[in-house]
Amino acid sequence: MITRERRILSGKGRFIDDLEWPHMAHCVFIGSPYAHARIKRIDVSQAVKKPGVLTILTGEDLVKRTEPLPALSDFSGRPGWHWRVPRIYPLAVEKVRFHGEPVAAIIAETPSLALQAADWVEVEYDPLPPVLDAEEAMKKGAPLVYEEWGDNIQLHTVFNFGDVEKVFQEADRILKVCWRENRVSAFPLEARGCLAMFEPMEETLNTWGSYQCPFRAQHYLSHVLRLPQTNVRVVASDIGGGFGNKINSWKYTVVGLAAILTGRPVKWHESTREFMLTGPHQRDVRWEGEVAIKNDGHILGIKARFIQDLGVEISNRDYSAPSIIAACSSVPNAYRLQGLRVEAYGIVTNKSFYGAYRGFGKDKGAKFMERIMDRVSRECRLDPADLRLKNFIQPHEFPYKHISGLVYDSGNYPALMQEALSAAEVDSWRIKQEELRKKGRYVGIGMAFVVEPAGIAAPNARFSGLVQARVRITPDGLVEAYSDRTEIGQGAERTNTLVLSQILGARTEDIVIKPVSSDIIGMGPISSRGAVYSVSALARAAKGIKALIIKYASAFFKEDPANIRLEGGTIYSTKNPENRLTFKELADRFYFRPGPRGLPREMQFNHETLLDVSSSWYSPNNAQNPTTTYTTFAASADLAVVEVDIETGVTHILKYVHVHDAGKIISRETVDGQIYGGIVQGIGEALYEELVYNERGELSTDSYGDFLMPTALDAPHIVIQHLETPSPFTELGTKGMGESPIIGSKAVIISAVEDALSPFHVRISEAPATRERVRRWIRNSPAR
Amino acid sequence: MKMPVKIKVNHHSYQLEVEPQETLLEVLKNKLKINSLHRGCEEGECGACTVLLDGKPVCSCLIPSPQADGKEVLTLEGLNRDGELHPLLEAFIENYAIQCGYCTPGMVMTAYYLINHLTHFSEENIRKGIEGNLCRCTGYIQILKAIQAAKKNKDAGRWW
Repeated sequence: MITRERRILSGKGRFIDDLEWPHMAHCVFIGSPYAHARIKRIDVSQAVKKPGVLTILTGEDLVKRTEPLPALSDFSGRPGWHWRVPRIYPLAVEKVRFHGEPVAAIIAETPSLALQAADWVEVEYDPLPPVLDAEEAMKKGAPLVYEEWGDNIQLHTVFNFGDVEKVFQEADRILKVCWRENRVSAFPLEARGCLAMFEPMEETLNTWGSYQCPFRAQHYLSHVLRLPQTNVRVVASDIGGGFGNKINSWKYTVVGLAAILTGRPVKWHESTREFMLTGPHQRDVRWEGEVAIKNDGHILGIKARFIQDLGVEISNRDYSAPSIIAACSSVPNAYRLQGLRVEAYGIVTNKSFYGAYRGFGKDKGAKFMERIMDRVSRECRLDPADLRLKNFIQPHEFPYKHISGLVYDSGNYPALMQEALSAAEVDSWRIKQEELRKKGRYVGIGMAFVVEPAGIAAPNARFSGLVQARVRITPDGLVEAYSDRTEIGQGAERTNTLVLSQILGARTEDIVIKPVSSDIIGMGPISSRGAVYSVSALARAAKGIKALIIKYASAFFKEDPANIRLEGGTIYSTKNPENRLTFKELADRFYFRPGPRGLPREMQFNHETLLDVSSSWYSPNNAQNPTTTYTTFAASADLAVVEVDIETGVTHILKYVHVHDAGKIISRETVDGQIYGGIVQGIGEALYEELVYNERGELSTDSYGDFLMPTALDAPHIVIQHLETPSPFTELGTKGMGESPIIGSKAVIISAVEDALSPFHVRISEAPATRERVRRWIRNSPAR
Repeated sequence: MKMPVKIKVNHHSYQLEVEPQETLLEVLKNKLKINSLHRGCEEGECGACTVLLDGKPVCSCLIPSPQADGKEVLTLEGLNRDGELHPLLEAFIENYAIQCGYCTPGMVMTAYYLINHLTHFSEENIRKGIEGNLCRCTGYIQILKAIQAAKKNKDAGRWW
């Protein structure tokens, strides 16, 4: 079958921009110009009469016709948890709570007719003071995002792992560490969108679009639109980048409703600006912590206060509320801590909602921990590599149950670190660094080590860990595979093909990876779970098909099953070479000539007459260890050398090394693609990207001209090396690996910039390290 | 007020009626159904809608369609011939330079221009040349490799 790459390069992509249906109408959302305001009145009576307008929906219509957006994870009622769920709709009701929040949806013959009518939608607002900073929002008297709550705290709990009080008493030293990451998101070049159409014959709402997780979108749409799940079918079209940003489907519900009400196919494809204004935002966290250490560099424990600035909410538009748990339980990272206490807050403010972006939450703890490592190294004058090596979990300790409850599957952290140190030639760079400093050039060497928990399966959330895969042999001998693993650019199609080809001995051109739809159960590509859940389920289905093929072939050949081999697209006997069938020939005999009559009677009596296997997979790690929410733990070591121009504040990357252990690798090229892309995204986060709201709560950075993603000039040369420590838990020994590169690269660049600025005693506690910030840090330096 | 426009797209001539405010992107995508073209930021920042206009890469979202009157447009579709992918595109596949594929149709048009016209063909100059084509997936590394490999193909005569 033609690969996706070849199809796209033949001009046959099917992205949201390419979807068309006869008689199609268009949906355009109208957003609030205010960050916070009461809606006094919406009058669409003029607008709805404008040329080409079919209908206009407002919040009032949704209240009548739909359910409020459901809570996607709910820990309320758990002891010690403060967890609030707002009552909200995708179009604002009574109040707008962030700049750009949709207040109306215009359905018209063309997008430009909808936009022309938009000028006639009259909305009378009563502006309210916005609250734009989490710490301000926690103060008494702050404007309330939800008056009914009485405060702005959506989530609050204390995570207490190990015996933190004991280790703080045993400490030789206690150091303070603060760290703040500003607001960013992925914003891939294709914004969100979908085409929805109500099909009367099946009474089914069919929808195609940039659905990263069709099964979950089906659940969401059916709930909101009050349709049985069987009457909603969601299909992922070609997706122009996901990174978590297209898991949410709250605006898609309005498009679905419009299709039902108008009886027309309705398409929505938002602009980049709309994506940035109303899309999922991420990071925006601050940590204030204390670390207890021994003089020899052993790290005993950490106490911290963690504040996540959620924007308008974290629970209903997207699935991200458990990210607060991931953030706190990922603090121990690769190290043997004995105690950890985090008081965690999720605070609502008048900004766009909090959603998923590569890293999700597990990135936050690891980056905080790496800041701690650098701080300890500097304050205690310990080599940063030695410090990490001293505190690593050791290779013989796996599976390692961490104080967080996470059970790490396997790894060899010292070997990874050593490999990275030698590949980066750190020792010679230290010498060069000294020499260059004498010439007024500021070079810094940074390091970061990241453990990536992958494949979330959490209770009380739409992350249950269920997954399905189906493989069948078609009557003309092709291998057809169905999986929940949407292709979002991460190489799902290629790796799924390789898995099937290796297990079945089928030729890759005979393997068909079907588009992902809600017909297959599964959480979709989130939390790097493709190589954990989806691949394991697919491998099980493929093994099931292989067993059936061997059984049938041994019946056809009248031979012992042990003699049958599958290889190069044929099924043959090792004993009698004349006994050989292609997949096509086998399928033909099995289906038609002679058909089931050709099978042994025992199989006929057992009704074993299908070449079609549906499998599931559930993590043995979760099954054995109820405290772990993740299954595999890939690891990576990043080393970077940068030079900072202290006059301009510009950072240049001189050397970049990434050594990765993703367990068993299916496709080196695919894994490397994830690494290159993730690293450059992380560099963007470390140096340039930032979502900035002005004092009125308007998003100032609402275009690629202001939100500065890396260009080809910003990508360094990257040396990649691999170790392979297979996971004992997954079907093929693979580990999820899509996220550690973005985590490690942000951490390592910050680490390197701080090292470069060490003559100025700069301690970096905020990202991104933009050129303006770097100049300010130097200006305010006590050494200047 | 409609305006007549004569335009050659991927070696075929068209006579069209356009609205003055319609962009070249809208005309190519909506009227001529050039499927590979994608709407990106519509501000000339991302390069997803890059086409060659009289041989030079432009963001088609920034070009008012009447300005394309009498001109020639080349898109990815025009590179391929007889159902065969252009050697440049083969190099993108061989070097794993495509992840989600949304930026690719624009990226390859800039790359095609650079390979044909860069006087000093160096990695640094390729980077400068594709600076206006954003890619969120690949980190550009595999794209740079693909463009360099394609240039070698061209020098070896594998090109059209």
